[in-house]
Amino acid sequence: MALIELRKLNKIYPNGVHALVDVDLTVQEGEFLVVIGLSGSGKSTLLRCINRLIEPTSGQILYRGQDVTHIQGKDLRQYRKKIGMIFQQFNLIKRRTVLLNVLTGALGSLPVLPSILERFPDNLRQEAMEKLRIVGLEDKWNVRVDALSGGQQQRVAIARSLMQHPEVLLADEPVASLDPATSHSVMKYLKQLNTDYGMTIICNLHFLSLVRTYGTRVVALKQGKLIFQGKPEEITQEWFKEIYGEEAEEVEIA
Amino acid sequence: MGTETKSQTTTAQKFQALILDIFFGIYFVVTLHRVFYYQVLLSLRKLPPVTVEIVLLYIGIGTILGLALFVLNASPGKLIFRQLPDIPWKKAVAEHFLWIIGVLTIATGWVVTRVSILDFFSQEGLAGAKRIFSALLSPEWSILPQALLAIVETIYLALMATLFALPVAFILSFFTARNLMRQSPITLGIYTVLRVLVNFTRSIEPLIWAIIFTVWVGIGPFAGTLALMVHTIASLTKLYSEQIENVDPGPIEAIEATGAHPMQVIWFAVVPQIVLPFLSFTIYRWDINVRMATIIGLVGGGGIGTLLMQYQGLAQWHEVGLLVLIIAIVVWIMDYLSARIREALV
Ligand SMILES: Nc1ncnc2c1ncn2[C@@H]1O[C@H](COP(=O)(O)OP(=O)(O)O)[C@@H](O)[C@H]1O
Ligand SMILES: [Mg+2]
Repeated sequence: MALIELRKLNKIYPNGVHALVDVDLTVQEGEFLVVIGLSGSGKSTLLRCINRLIEPTSGQILYRGQDVTHIQGKDLRQYRKKIGMIFQQFNLIKRRTVLLNVLTGALGSLPVLPSILERFPDNLRQEAMEKLRIVGLEDKWNVRVDALSGGQQQRVAIARSLMQHPEVLLADEPVASLDPATSHSVMKYLKQLNTDYGMTIICNLHFLSLVRTYGTRVVALKQGKLIFQGKPEEITQEWFKEIYGEEAEEVEIA
Repeated sequence: MGTETKSQTTTAQKFQALILDIFFGIYFVVTLHRVFYYQVLLSLRKLPPVTVEIVLLYIGIGTILGLALFVLNASPGKLIFRQLPDIPWKKAVAEHFLWIIGVLTIATGWVVTRVSILDFFSQEGLAGAKRIFSALLSPEWSILPQALLAIVETIYLALMATLFALPVAFILSFFTARNLMRQSPITLGIYTVLRVLVNFTRSIEPLIWAIIFTVWVGIGPFAGTLALMVHTIASLTKLYSEQIENVDPGPIEAIEATGAHPMQVIWFAVVPQIVLPFLSFTIYRWDINVRMATIIGLVGGGGIGTLLMQYQGLAQWHEVGLLVLIIAIVVWIMDYLSARIREALV
C-alpha cells in the first residue's frame, strides 16, 4: 500500500489563485521524493496540503489508505504528529534555547497544561539531547537559537521534527537560504534519515544538481499541474526547458 | 466581469459625489446666511431664531444649488473623486466653490469660538492673567503634604487601573486578532462583535467614563479607577491585538505541524513574539494613565485632580499653583522613566 496518495487535489486560494490543479501523486514508504518547479508553481502549497496546514479545495488525501482529507481536532493532531516538517526560514522560536526548541517537537504527545508550564519529563530532555547529537549540536543545547548560523538553525529544526518520531519528513526548500557548503551538510542529514532510519522524505528543491545527488524520485509542478514524474536522471534538457521555461539555464551548486 | 465591476464603482462614486454636492450646497447656504450675512456683514450679536420654514428653505436652496453644480459638471464632489471632465472653466468654478467653502468654514469657526483679539489684550484681561500667573509662580507650600498624598493616590489609581486592565486586555486581544480568528465563521463572528465593542469603548473618552462611574459607584477614586480601567482595557486590547496580527506566521506553522494543541501553538509560537512589545505598551499606558488620572480627578474621580478642582473653585490660586507644579514634576518623571524602561526592553 502506498504511504501517501493524493487524488485530484485542488487548491484555490480565497484571492482566486489556482495553486494546485488536479494533482494525482503517490508516495511510497522509504522514498526520497523531490518536488521541483518555478517559484509560485505550487510546491509549498502541495507540502502543506499533505499535513493539512492548508485545506485543499477539493480532492482526497489518503495516508496508509485512510482518508485524512477532512479529519479535525484530535484526529488531525494525531495525524500531524506522524509528519515532521522543516522550512526555508527554519521557523524556530527565536529568543529561546536550542533545547527548548527541540522539545517543542514533542508537544503533540504532551498534555497541554504541564507543557505550557514547561515541565518536560527528564526522559524527554534526554531524548532531545540525543536528537541534538544526531545533528551534531549537543554542545549548543543551552544557546539561544538566534545566536546560531543558518545551517545550525536548520539542524535544530531537523532535531525538533525528530522528536515527533515522524514517519515522513516534509522539507520546504530547506536549503534555499543557505550557502552551498552548508546546503550539502543539511541535505546529508536528510539523506542519512532516509537511508539509516528508512524515513520517507518529501523535499522541495530549487537546484537540479541537489536533486540528482539526493533524490530517488522527482516530480515537477508547473502552474499547479504535475507535469513530470520520474527518476532524477530522466530530466532531460527538453524536460528542463519545459519545467523552467525556454530562457532558463541550469546552474551548478558546488 | 471586469467592466461590470468598474461601472459599478463609478455609479457608486457618482452617487457619493452627488451626496457631497448637496451637502456642500446646503452647508454653503447656511454658513453664508447665518454667519457671513448676519454676523460678519450685519455684525449681529443675537441671531434671529431658526424656524422650520427657514430650515426647509436652507435645505431646498442648498439642494438645488448642489444639483445644479452636479448636473452642470462644475461639481466639487466630482472634482474630489477625480471624475470631472476636462473643461477648464467648469473645473475653475468647482475649485473656487471649494475655496469659498473653506473660507466660510474658517469664518464660522472664528464666530463660533468667539475668537476676540480684544478680549485677549483687554486691560481687564491682562490684569487677570497677571494675577493668576503671579499666584501660580508663588505656590503655597503649606499644602505640600496634602498635595503629595493626593498625587500618590493618583499614581496608585493609574497603577491599579493598568494592572486590572492588563489580564483582561491580554485575553481579549487573542480574540480580536484577525489572523487567529478567521479560521471559522463562528470565531470570525466573535472577532467582529468584540472588535466593534472595543472600538466603541475606546472612542469614549475616559473623562466621560468617569462621569458615568461617579453616578454609578459614587464620587471618589474608585469611580476614577473604573473609568481608566475600562478605557485602558479597550486601548490595550487594540494595541496588543495589532501586535498579534503582526507576528511571524512561520513558527505558528512549525508548531502546528508537530501536532500541538492550539493552546500550545499560542503559548510557544505566538506568546514569545509578543511579550516584550506587550510589556512596553503596558508601561506606556501606565504613563498615559497617570496623566489622565489627574484630569479625571476634575470630575470627582479622586486624587490630585479633585483637590485641584476644590482650590480652583475657591479661587485660591497659590494653592492651585503648587498642585500644578507637583503634577508637572510627576508627569515629567513618569514620562522619562517609562521612555527609559521601554528603550531597555526593545
Ligand atoms: N496564502 C495565500 N493566499 C493567496 N495566494 C497564495 C497563498 N499562498 C500562495 N499563494 C499563491 O499560490 C501560488 C503557489 O504558491 P506556492 O505554493 O507558495 O508556490 P511555490 O512554493 O512553488 O513557490 C502562487 O501563485 C502564490 O502566489
Ligand atoms: Mg514555496
